[in-house]
Amino acid sequence: MSLEQWQRAERLRVEIQEFCRSGMPSDILRKSSRHLMLNKDEYVRWMRALQSRGWAVGHWPREHGGMDWSALERFVFEDELARAGCPWVIPFGVKYVGPVIYTFGTEPQKRRFLPPIAATDQWWAQGYSEPGAGSDLAALRTAAELHGDHYIVNGQKCWTTYAQWADWMFCLVRTARDERVQNGISFLLIDLRSPGVTIRPVRTMDLCHHVNEVWLDNVRVPVENRVGEEGAGWKLAKFLLANERTYGAGVGEAWFALARLKTLAADMSCGGARLISNSGFHRRIDELELRVLALEALSYQALADMTSGAESSAEASMLKLRASEVYQDLIETTVDALGYAGIAYDPGTLHGEGPPPLGPDDAGGILRYHLYNRAATIYGGSSEIQRNIIAKSALGLQP
Amino acid sequence: MTVAEGADDDELIAMLRQSIERYTAEHYTFERRWAALKNPRAYSEQAWSDYGRFGWLALRLPQESGGVAAGVRTTAPLMEAVGARLLLEPILASAIVGTGLILRRASTDQKAQLLPKLADGTLKVAFAHQETLNAFSEDAISSEYRGGAVHGSKVAVLHADCADRLIVSARKRDVGGTVSLYIVDAVARGLRRQRFRLLDGRGAANLSFDGVEAEPLNASGAIDADQAAIAAALEEAIVASCSEALGAIRALNAATNQYLKSRKQFGRPIGANQALQHRMVEMHLLEQEVRALTLAAQRALSELEVGRTRIISGARAFTCSAARRIAAEAVQMHGGIGVSDELDVSHYYRRLMVLGTLFGNRECHFGRFAATCEAIGH
Repeated sequence: MSLEQWQRAERLRVEIQEFCRSGMPSDILRKSSRHLMLNKDEYVRWMRALQSRGWAVGHWPREHGGMDWSALERFVFEDELARAGCPWVIPFGVKYVGPVIYTFGTEPQKRRFLPPIAATDQWWAQGYSEPGAGSDLAALRTAAELHGDHYIVNGQKCWTTYAQWADWMFCLVRTARDERVQNGISFLLIDLRSPGVTIRPVRTMDLCHHVNEVWLDNVRVPVENRVGEEGAGWKLAKFLLANERTYGAGVGEAWFALARLKTLAADMSCGGARLISNSGFHRRIDELELRVLALEALSYQALADMTSGAESSAEASMLKLRASEVYQDLIETTVDALGYAGIAYDPGTLHGEGPPPLGPDDAGGILRYHLYNRAATIYGGSSEIQRNIIAKSALGLQP
Repeated sequence: MTVAEGADDDELIAMLRQSIERYTAEHYTFERRWAALKNPRAYSEQAWSDYGRFGWLALRLPQESGGVAAGVRTTAPLMEAVGARLLLEPILASAIVGTGLILRRASTDQKAQLLPKLADGTLKVAFAHQETLNAFSEDAISSEYRGGAVHGSKVAVLHADCADRLIVSARKRDVGGTVSLYIVDAVARGLRRQRFRLLDGRGAANLSFDGVEAEPLNASGAIDADQAAIAAALEEAIVASCSEALGAIRALNAATNQYLKSRKQFGRPIGANQALQHRMVEMHLLEQEVRALTLAAQRALSELEVGRTRIISGARAFTCSAARRIAAEAVQMHGGIGVSDELDVSHYYRRLMVLGTLFGNRECHFGRFAATCEAIGH
């Protein structure tokens, strides 16, 4: 990476740190740093606060309203926000479908969708997984049949995050049957207010409502809402999945969790002493810190490779694996540190209205996040799929 | 289904296993359990009174109190069912720990008054002992008994939300601060109960005692007899929680194994992948080890004097690690549906988290085990 690239990224880092100290809505930071549940209004305010500096779409090209960030700047942006305990940058519009639209969409699609995505005037959901198509995404069966100038869509999507708030859903559908299942998939933009759309909430193991089932029953979708050619959806899906696996947030989140684990271990008492003076527990924390350090080093290595064009397709998989696994261990250790406060749970306190039944005021949020985060090694390509990718592309091993 | 009199423990264990399995399969389905979870009392009152009617709450009680006078091992099938069916009722808190303390330390009069009601379930007790959030080691008790009343506070007391009486550990000022046991009415003046749910849906409460009228458990005995009774009751609780974890682990492994055979991706069952087969084998091995160690710990409870701690805390530490690994793997191999609250896998996950902390976590028991290992070197 050139010196100039580093300098630009460092300038951005300083600006973001300044934003986290003084520009960030403090009520939102208070909740997110305790892993409490944010409502839609809070997320919208958060995304707009970012966009007031152009950052929500900083990684977009300038011609579409972005700032042409380098991979390094994008990394620094996510890393710094997560390190400060900010909410996650809602990816469905700005990170997932936006780049698909400006890369593969028509001019009218760009004019129609990109400005409200950048401004978070529309909320987007991702219609990928189905009950029979999880790791094997190409097995999806939601069918779209062309009748005149409309597709008629029938099927069921699942694990659809925040569909309860969404105005639109980008959706993989089957428009043709082919021996090669990846053929015959198309990428549609579906207005969720259309007749025939039913959204059913599904509670996850943290007893909260994040995800949904989306049922599509003879939903009419105008043909101009298809992005890319009919049958070319798999290419777009893969392009989007590659964008899904960017890794700044994983590193920043890990440092944030490690810092909290340390303060907690210093605060909690253990048989007349502090928990941190328990040598076994202290060692667990140090081991985790070493793994976070390795994750960060691997991330910067991947960024350097990306810039020099030496990037391998296995790198994103390696980072997704390592980031999700080290985070699960970090937050599990943090739950351990909570002792008996780590088994008391009142979902009613997770929206920030009152303290948890026991322990520090983030105890409930830590528990909630521990539970929900079991999904991190499942969504966006499970750890098993990531390992398959690495076996095949980095090692040349075939099943 | 009532427990037969005169049977020996092995016969009784086999019978209990059968009747508990039959009852819970019919009356404690996942759907019925949902209803119990939604009940403000956080358990099924019908199921609890059934347990009383069948004699399951009276296994250890003397026959004159309506009990079966069986050995401590006979509670194992019951506790395994608590884990396997994720039962919510106060079996561990009241029928095992609370009843154990009363059996050991209540006077004849107190027993005559309490035991018949414990036997049929009309009385529920909880043991208020833990005072800090620390699960890593044993903490000193600082609650006090003075002037006929208890002062102090207790945290996260399992099933203190629904208990009618509380057995409280407190220091007796006038005899040099020895920890003794007292019985308190759960609605007594000066007692505040902050009720909440544990992660697995079972009820608990934080308690604060501001001069609460209390009656000593006053069987005759040595000055430290109460302290010894607490240690023994906690050992029983630890072994019972191993049995409960074993029940949950067995059910979870069976569910995961079944899922590996039925869930298809890429045109074949996911269990056809050798990488997953080997992980499933590892979970199975852990289950067998937990089972063997739990049996050893049950025997140690009734037979061993020397080396009890080594076996009991060793079993407990091993079970905690195994449970954590198995629960995480079960969720992972089930994929998205494993994270949903609509399938029981996540309920087992939360139950095993609770079991990993109650009565001391893995580090606590590993430390106790390590202290029994022979010193290395000279």
